Amino acid sequence: MSDNPPAPPLGQSDKVVQVDNLSKKYGDNVAVNDISFNLTKGEVFAFLGPNGAGKTTTVEILECLRNPTGGQARVLGYDVSKRSDQAEIRKRIGVLPQDFNAIDRLTVRENINYFGAMFKHQLDADKLIELVDLKDKRDEQFKKLSGGLKQRVGLAVSLVNDPDVVFLDEPTTGLDPRARRDVWGVIERLKGQGKTVFLTTHYMDEAEYLADIVSIIDRGQIIASGTPDQLIDTHGGKKTLIIRDAGQEGIRQLPLGLPKAELRNAGDIAIPLNNGELTNILMSLAQTPLHDKEIEVRRPTLDDVFLNLTGRRVSEEGN
Amino acid sequence: MRSRIYTIISGHFKSWYRSKSNIFWTIAFPLLLIVLFGAIFGSGSTKFDLYLQNQDLSGNVPTPLSQGYVNVLNQTGAFNLHMVAAEQPDPLTFVKNDAQLHNRGQRLLVVPLGFNATVMSGDNATIKLFMDQSDQASASLRGIVDSVTVSYAAKIAGAPDHLFVQPVGIVTRNVRYIDFFIPGVIGMTLLTTGVFGAVNTNGRYRELKIIKKLATTPLSKIEWILGMVGYQMILATISLVVILFFGYAIFGVTVTIDIYTVGLVVAAALLFPGIGMVLANFVREAESADAAANAITFPMMFLAGTFWPRETLPDIMKVIANFMPLTYVNDGLRDALIYAQPAQALNNAIIALSLAAFFIILGSLLMNWKEE
Repeated sequence: MSDNPPAPPLGQSDKVVQVDNLSKKYGDNVAVNDISFNLTKGEVFAFLGPNGAGKTTTVEILECLRNPTGGQARVLGYDVSKRSDQAEIRKRIGVLPQDFNAIDRLTVRENINYFGAMFKHQLDADKLIELVDLKDKRDEQFKKLSGGLKQRVGLAVSLVNDPDVVFLDEPTTGLDPRARRDVWGVIERLKGQGKTVFLTTHYMDEAEYLADIVSIIDRGQIIASGTPDQLIDTHGGKKTLIIRDAGQEGIRQLPLGLPKAELRNAGDIAIPLNNGELTNILMSLAQTPLHDKEIEVRRPTLDDVFLNLTGRRVSEEGN
Repeated sequence: MRSRIYTIISGHFKSWYRSKSNIFWTIAFPLLLIVLFGAIFGSGSTKFDLYLQNQDLSGNVPTPLSQGYVNVLNQTGAFNLHMVAAEQPDPLTFVKNDAQLHNRGQRLLVVPLGFNATVMSGDNATIKLFMDQSDQASASLRGIVDSVTVSYAAKIAGAPDHLFVQPVGIVTRNVRYIDFFIPGVIGMTLLTTGVFGAVNTNGRYRELKIIKKLATTPLSKIEWILGMVGYQMILATISLVVILFFGYAIFGVTVTIDIYTVGLVVAAALLFPGIGMVLANFVREAESADAAANAITFPMMFLAGTFWPRETLPDIMKVIANFMPLTYVNDGLRDALIYAQPAQALNNAIIALSLAAFFIILGSLLMNWKEE
């Protein structure tokens, strides 16, 4: 990248985030190793990977909280390593740090206005409260809210300056399933408004559900990128036919000539499907006692993609 | 910029007054201390308090005639005699401090070195009585000391006119313990709210990622620090007003508020948060930072003359107290509020402001706004 004046602001370029050969080392420890990716205006981009993969380090470099040790990164055309550019970036990005909590004894509305006052222009707090569906709680102190509601306040706070790009670092970690769904709803609304969202997560289903583009990062390196469908088609493996609750007895009842079946923990039988095999297999199963079992065809997920690429699965805790 | 600083001050202030424990430690606790210490040290006595320094020693033992004189004074039953060690080089200052601590009148009788020899040789000996002429007890006390002295002279030398009591006027403000204590409580409150405020705010806001969030906005580190200092100044002013009002209403403590008082409060509102910021940078975990703040504030509170005059401390402690910033805030506040000694108040204010500048600059430099 050149040292010319800041690149043109959003509107003249579709690249909201440009990362080229970015690295970050702490002594001998390489947290981020020569990664490159782009984020285009209006996209929801998911940076997916287990804990310690380098997601937060990368996002904090883009937020001007950490300095890279190699490569370049530009946000909205501005160089994250240049002090004068950092001031411009800070005005135009929205950030929800991982594990963020607002100020305990301020109300929802006061918190939004508190963080809004840090910017020259701020959105109307009531409109943001409406966006995150917290109208009933707007005069409630932050400390009295549940985890899911707190995270929605964080989302509102991250949008308070009407940012050109929003960085959400693990926005649903630690939330119960319903609260996660609520947060997803808010992110979907942002997507509907055409906001550019940079999301880091270790939840495969979250990335699959929300993201237009996913980059999978593991041990500091990006190991795959693409739309969720592209990643699944390329790295997810075959579809699987599942016969529910069939158990060991079901294995014995399978007709001869089927692909190699596998018995899973819950007693389900899993049969990998090649293209065009489904009808034949179903017809042969109809001749066995298994015909009255619950049968479904399961498409591979990003979980399978990660498993196939790394040989491991990511736990619920992100490890 | 003003709006951001105002927002930070307002955010801190709302968080403060919405917390019962904050209100307790900033306002109720100092008032409770004033009531307790005022009650414990405020009791009076029907006898006259009189400090006595017998300088006439022979091999560390009082000479017979000087000791006899002390005994006679004691036998009158009119005095609570408080002995001052013969080697005390500045007995007047000692008496001033000790009398404040124990809420006694500042009166000192000095039996001079060579008293025994002078009386034995038939020459005139002079005993000095230091007391404030405006002291309500001065006339009666002087009368008793005079008559005791005359009768003692007659007894030992047969010549009453060989022994004189020379009254020496001293000006005392009749400072009671509570007068001494009130500025100390103000200093202590400024210390604890400042150090703990900075330590807790920085530690907790760091844990809650609020500082990280703020660092991604256009807010600058200096605006954040100015906001915190502005908030501390408001708290300091509230503490000052509440404590002084309470001291006046309950104990009739009257004070002089001047430019030095303002300077010292401003210095304290910079100094103690500055110390807290330095501490918060070395001990990053909120709980450990709290323990570190306790480790710093408690010794300072006890050694820097909050509860009793530093002159009553052992020598080594006095030396240590000289390195404690609270010492200069406490001394300055007393000089300004109680003793009306502007020159000394100014000296202490200058020292406190210099320390404040040092700590606030050091704290600002050390404070890490980025995540490295």
